[in-house]
Amino acid sequence: MTVSSTLSRRALIGTALSAGAASLIGASTQSRAQAAGTVNFTAWSAAVDQVKSHIGAFENATKLKVNYENFPWAQYRTSVVTRLVGNAPMDVMWISDAWLPEFAEAQWLAAIDDVPELMKYNAEAATYCTQSMTYKGKQYGLSYYGDHMSFVCNTDIMQRAGIEKPPATWDEVVQASLKIKQAGIVEYPMLLALAIDTWLIEFVSAMVFSHGGRFVDPQGAPIMAEPGRGAIEAATWIRDAIHTHKILSPGAIETPDINALRAFGAGQHAFYIVPTYRLRALNDPSQATAAGKIRPVLMPRGPKATTSATCGWIRFYGMTPGAKANAARRANAVKFIEFFGGKDTTGAYRFQKLLLTDLGLPFCTMPLAADADVKAFWDKWAGGGDVIAQQASSAVKKDVIAPWFGEWNEMANAAWQSIFLNKATPEAATRAMAQKWNELRKG
Amino acid sequence: MSSVTDTALDRLGRRFGYDERSAAVLLLPVFIVLLAVAVFPIVYSFYTSLFDINLTRPWRRPFIGFDNYLRVFADPNFWIAVQRTTVYTVVTVAVTTVLAVVVALLLNEAFPGRRLLAALVLLPWATPSIVNGLMWKWIYNPGYGLLNGLLVQLGLIDRYKVWLGDPDITIYMIANAAVWKQMPLAAILILVTMKAIPEDLYKAAKVDGANVFQRFWHVTLPALKPGLMLVLVYETMISIRHFDLFLIMTQGGPGDASYTLSWQIYVETFRNLKFGIGAALSYILALATFGLSYLFIRGLGSRL
Repeated sequence: MTVSSTLSRRALIGTALSAGAASLIGASTQSRAQAAGTVNFTAWSAAVDQVKSHIGAFENATKLKVNYENFPWAQYRTSVVTRLVGNAPMDVMWISDAWLPEFAEAQWLAAIDDVPELMKYNAEAATYCTQSMTYKGKQYGLSYYGDHMSFVCNTDIMQRAGIEKPPATWDEVVQASLKIKQAGIVEYPMLLALAIDTWLIEFVSAMVFSHGGRFVDPQGAPIMAEPGRGAIEAATWIRDAIHTHKILSPGAIETPDINALRAFGAGQHAFYIVPTYRLRALNDPSQATAAGKIRPVLMPRGPKATTSATCGWIRFYGMTPGAKANAARRANAVKFIEFFGGKDTTGAYRFQKLLLTDLGLPFCTMPLAADADVKAFWDKWAGGGDVIAQQASSAVKKDVIAPWFGEWNEMANAAWQSIFLNKATPEAATRAMAQKWNELRKG
Repeated sequence: MSSVTDTALDRLGRRFGYDERSAAVLLLPVFIVLLAVAVFPIVYSFYTSLFDINLTRPWRRPFIGFDNYLRVFADPNFWIAVQRTTVYTVVTVAVTTVLAVVVALLLNEAFPGRRLLAALVLLPWATPSIVNGLMWKWIYNPGYGLLNGLLVQLGLIDRYKVWLGDPDITIYMIANAAVWKQMPLAAILILVTMKAIPEDLYKAAKVDGANVFQRFWHVTLPALKPGLMLVLVYETMISIRHFDLFLIMTQGGPGDASYTLSWQIYVETFRNLKFGIGAALSYILALATFGLSYLFIRGLGSRL
């Protein structure tokens, strides 16, 4: 018994050691295989089903393996930064245009100017999208999707209030809202999601740009605190909408984008600023009771604005310098980015089209606009694609995107809210924002 | 060399017996684990606080001594956070303690259903913090919240209020949610102390003609000192570092109405990715917590 037990123990230790050695050898082999035939793709948790399905198509077409991992949007930037700092294996990742300067300065993104397989797609991409992926003259990726803030109306509420055409200026929005309110149709006709979350800067930027304004001048100096430059006027409009005209609920201050979407879909408001990709959900009867009555119109203009400008943004595929430095990894990463952000092996913009038809995510690729399925999509979910195309053409990239954007935005979010709460004047709050901008700019 | 080692071992063997040496060997793994997961992070975070570490500038991390601490003290946001944290902590600890004493007094009496009530009182404590935050956010909702519905039906308000969007009351609304969760444990801790008060003291007080309030003031309250001190120290430590509710309910807003120290640490560390400043802030908060705990213990003049 003793002998047997001793032998068993020896056998056990031997097996454990063998297993350990085998796993080490296996790991080493796997590591070599990773370099040879694997793409490490990091994304946030969006379009997961579509990404997985397209990864399957990519693996079949290229015989490469994809290690796909995703993190929630709210933690994505922090997760990716810590992984990059820790030299985790990453080849391709989704990037927001807001992080481009920060990531490029930290050398976490590789420029693709010397990758003709990817640069050739610029010829068919909207200029605004290409510009949004460019920092200090270098391009850093291919688009995942490109979108802009749309002004949408509930046509049913407008009809009931006897409003025949949608408001074209912010003054007309006030007048139309007051008419709806006085008719007792809804208490707060205007809807904005003004909670401190990642979308606040886009909502506010859309308002500022539609007032013909900007936050900074072309040299990067802050002009947000200067009267007549749009920021003060936009902030004043929102403050007055809440406190003077009472057409926008004070609850907007704690309403995040997703709650606002539900409220608008339920037919509780007449006017709303929303990312265009939400139109599909808003006009889907299974998700919104007001479906079919929600239509995009051009962004209302401020008194000094000459166009109906709005805020646009893009998300894109970026390659890590680590992947670019290794010939095999670079080749695989380029294939992956092209398959997803460009054309697949059949020569079609399949993934960009899939994202639109499945989820409503607009694209940067111009030729797709003429696609019959794409046209049918916009006809079904937005009453046509003309307004969307026209609005997209006047979308403006957020001019506050800089290496210090994240830190400035933290402060700015609180400052915007203090204006909306009537706790600070637009002049004082924007002055504080400009001061912070200058501090960060000086480094 | 060998003889020197032998001599040292011999000396060790003479000083500690077999039992002590066995105990040391058995405790060694735990000691190593504690060193790795508790002591090392504490020391390393202090070391981190002496560097200008910003993850978005990974190529530079200069040693700056105590500059991070000086930067924190010069930052107006820090003093806003101190003010908000103080208000939140004072309100939460005071209300929790008073309510806990009242609930403990109730549960100390004999009445039918007392055990069931004691179990029900404990329920909020068993609720996860995230669930607590989400639940109260729904209750306070300006469109369909229970609180608005109740107050309107009772005729106490004429229209729905934006409880978490009003900077003058937000911190109190969050404190209310915290008290709801923290009070049960405090009540049980005080109840345990209350149960230990000898019945003879009350009898003697009655003989001396003390009424119910006098008995509470002169007998119950002094005897509750150890329990109260435990509750005060524990609740202060919890409240001063509270984070979950601020993350879920307000994200530091509206404006900067709920911008507390723990929220500032989160923003500086995980949003601005300034690990040096974040570590310095954490040390300041830890020292403040220890300082307050010490003052409570000294002030109440009793030992745990």
